[in-house]
Amino acid sequence: MRAAVKLSLLCVTGESVIAQIVIDRVSHHYRPRHGRDVLALDQVSLDIAEREFIALLGPSGCGKSTLLYLLGGFLPTQSGNISVDSKPVKGPGPDRGIVFQHFALFPWKTVRQNVAYGLEKQGMPKDERDRRAKEYIALVGLQGFEDSYPSQLSGGMKQRAAIARTLAIDPSILLMDEPFGALDAQTRSLMQSELLALWRRSPKTVLFVTHDVQEAVYLAERVVVMSARPGRVKAIVDTRLDHTDPALFKSRVFIDKVDEIWNLVRDEALKAQTETSG
Amino acid sequence: MARWFGWRSVAWLSAAVLLAAWEIFARSGAVTPFMLPALSVVLERIASDAASGELLQGLGLTLYRSLAGFAIAACAGILLGVLFVRSRMVRWWLDPIISVGFPMPKIAFLPIITLWLGFYDVSKISMIVFDAVFPVITATIAGTMSVEKELIWSARNLGASERSLLWEVILPASLPQLLTGLQVALPISLIVCIVAEMKMGGIGLGAAMMNATRFADSPGVFAGIVEIALAGYALVKLMEWIRHRLLRWHAEANDEAHA
Amino acid sequence: MKSASRYLPLVLLALAWEAVSRLGLVSELALPPLSHVIRAAIDLVKSGELLKNGAASLYRGMAGLALAVVIGGVLGILMAWWRPLRAIVNPAVEMFYPMPKSALIPVTALWLGFGDASKILLIFLGCMLPVTLGAYNGARGCERVLIWSARSMGASRWRVLWDVVVPCALPEMLNGIRTALALSFVLLVSAELIVAQSGFGYLIGFLGEGGTYDAMFAVVLTVAFLGFVADRIYQWIMQRVLRWQE
Repeated sequence: MRAAVKLSLLCVTGESVIAQIVIDRVSHHYRPRHGRDVLALDQVSLDIAEREFIALLGPSGCGKSTLLYLLGGFLPTQSGNISVDSKPVKGPGPDRGIVFQHFALFPWKTVRQNVAYGLEKQGMPKDERDRRAKEYIALVGLQGFEDSYPSQLSGGMKQRAAIARTLAIDPSILLMDEPFGALDAQTRSLMQSELLALWRRSPKTVLFVTHDVQEAVYLAERVVVMSARPGRVKAIVDTRLDHTDPALFKSRVFIDKVDEIWNLVRDEALKAQTETSG
Repeated sequence: MARWFGWRSVAWLSAAVLLAAWEIFARSGAVTPFMLPALSVVLERIASDAASGELLQGLGLTLYRSLAGFAIAACAGILLGVLFVRSRMVRWWLDPIISVGFPMPKIAFLPIITLWLGFYDVSKISMIVFDAVFPVITATIAGTMSVEKELIWSARNLGASERSLLWEVILPASLPQLLTGLQVALPISLIVCIVAEMKMGGIGLGAAMMNATRFADSPGVFAGIVEIALAGYALVKLMEWIRHRLLRWHAEANDEAHA
Repeated sequence: MKSASRYLPLVLLALAWEAVSRLGLVSELALPPLSHVIRAAIDLVKSGELLKNGAASLYRGMAGLALAVVIGGVLGILMAWWRPLRAIVNPAVEMFYPMPKSALIPVTALWLGFGDASKILLIFLGCMLPVTLGAYNGARGCERVLIWSARSMGASRWRVLWDVVVPCALPEMLNGIRTALALSFVLLVSAELIVAQSGFGYLIGFLGEGGTYDAMFAVVLTVAFLGFVADRIYQWIMQRVLRWQE
C-alpha cells in the first residue's frame, strides 16, 4: 500500500518529493464510557505533498474526521506515526489550522476579536493584530461586520469568519472538517468556489473532509476514498480539473470522475448504513 | 441494570468516605469536641432521642407542618397557575405579584404572620404556604402554557368539554413541569418550617436545635443537622419516586442517567 | 422597559390597604395604614436606625455572597477541568445538596456567636452550592471544538481554561449566582431574625416585640423591596454581560 501511495504522489508531481505530511500505519480505537472499544481507523497510510489539496471522502463513521483530529494533534496517536515536516505530531499547533463544521467561533467575542485571537496568542501587538484581522475579514467578504457577534450572523457568514480566523495565523496546513456541511446548498456552492479562489491566492496544504462526492471532485486534486468502519484507504483518485471551464459541472471529465468515485463509495456507504441499522 | 447498580454504589461509597472523614477529623484533636463532635457521639444522641420519644415528636410535628403547608401550597399553586393562564383578570392581578414576590425574601414576613395568626401551627403553616406557593404557580404556568396547541385542538375536535379538557389533557400534558415545581416547593416547605420553628420555639426539629444552641449543647445541634438532612433527603427521594411512577409514560422517566 | 402599567395592580392593592385600614375594617394594630407605615419608615431613616442596621445586613450579605461567588466559581470550573478534584469534592456536594442550608443557622451561631462572622459563614456555605453547580455545569457543557480551536491557534492548556472554559461557563454560572443572590437574602434575614443583635432581621423582631407595628411593617417592606430590586439590577447586569447571546 505504501508503495502505491508513494507512486501516486510521484505521478502527481512528476518528481520525487519528500511529503510534507506522512501518515504511517495509523490505527485508532475509540473507548466509549459504556460498551466496548470501537476500531475507527485501521492501518491508514497516506503521504501528502506541500500545497496539495486533498479530499478525505467516505461514508459516516469511516473515521475521516478522526484522521483529521489525529493530524491536528487533538487526539493522541495510539499506534503508527504521523509526522509533519519530518517532525512527529505532539499536539495542536498554529502550523495546522482547523476549521470545523459548526464554525466553533467564540460566541462571546466579536468577529474581529475572534479573527485576532490566534494573533494574540502569537504575541502580536494590538495595532498590528487589528490591522491583520481587518485584512482577513475583508478577504472573506465580511467587511462591515467586524463588531458583530456570531449570533448575529448567518451560517455562511459564520463559516467565513471561522475561515478568516484560521487563515489569519497563516498556517501551512489547513484542516477542514466538513466545513460546508451545515450550510444550505446555495451558500455551499458559493463557499466552494471562494475557497478555491483563496487557495489559489495563497496556496496551502489542505485536507478537506467531506461525504459529498461532487464537492470532493470539484475542490480537490486527489480524493482519498475511505472504507466503512474500520476506516482504511480504499483508493486514491486523481481529480485535477480545469477550473477555468465555465461548464465544468456538465463536462464529461467531471461527470466521469464523480461516477468513478461514487462507485467506489457506494458499497462502503451501504455497509455503513447496515452497520448503524443492524 | 447492572450499570445502574454500579453508579449507585459509588454514591454510597463516597458518602461513607465522607462520614468516616468526619469521625477521624473530629477525634484527631485538630478541633475541639465543642466545635465538631464526633459522628459517633452525634449518632448516640440521635439514638437516645429516638428512644425517649423526643425525636419522633419533634420530627413528626415538623413533618406534619411542612407537608400540610406543602399540600396547601400545591393545590393553591396549581389552581392559581391554571387560572392565570385561562383568565385575563387573574393574570392581570397575579403577574406583578408573582414578578415582585418571587425574588423577595418572604421569610421577612414571618413576624407579620406571627402578629396576625399567633404562635401555633397555623402561623407556621401559613408562612410555609406563602413561601412554597410561588414556585408551584410559576411551574404550573410554564407547564400549561407549553402544552402543544395540537393536543388541545385534537381534543376539542374530538368533542372534549372545557372541564374534561383541563383534567384529561392539559394537566397530564403539563405534569412534568408541574412536578418540577412541586419538587422545588417541597424542600422550601421544610426549610421555612424549620426557620419558623427556630424563631417561634415550641416543639419541632428547628425549635430543638435552637434550644440546644442556647444551652451550648453541641452534639444536640449537630444531631439536629443530621436529622434534618436525613428528613430532607428522604422527602427529595420520595418526590423523585413519585415523579418516576407518575411519568412512566413520559420519555423522561426512561432516562436513568442523571447528571 | 416593560410598561409600568404592569405594576398597576400593586398600586391598587396599596390603595386598598390604606382604605381597609383607615376605615377600621381591620384592627389598626394588625394592619397599620400604609401612610403610617411610610411615615414610620421616614422616621427610621431620620433616626439612623434603618441605615445602621441596613449597613450591617448589607455588609454581611455582600461579604458572604462575594466569598461564595469567588470560591464557588473557581471550584466549579476547576472541578470540571480536573478529574481528581471532581472525585474528591463531588461526594461532599452530593451530600450537602438536599440539606436545608437554614439548618446551619444554629451551628454557625454556636461557632461564631451572634455577630457578623456567623452570618457571613452561613451565607458563604449556603450560597456556594448554586454557584459551584452553575460553574461546573457551564464548564462541562463547553464544546470540545471551541477548546480545540483555541489550542490549534497556539493557546496552552491553562490559557484555554481562562480564554475559553470560563466564558463558556459564564451564562450558567451567572444563573447560579442569581439563585445565590436570592438565597443570600433569605439566609440573612432568617439568621438575623433568630440569632442577631443588629441588622434588618433583628430590627424587625425588635420593633415587633416593642409593639411599634407600623415601624415593623416598614422594615419588612423595605427588606422585601430590596430583595426584589437586587434581583432586577442583577438581571440587568446579566443581560449586559451576556449581550453576545441571541
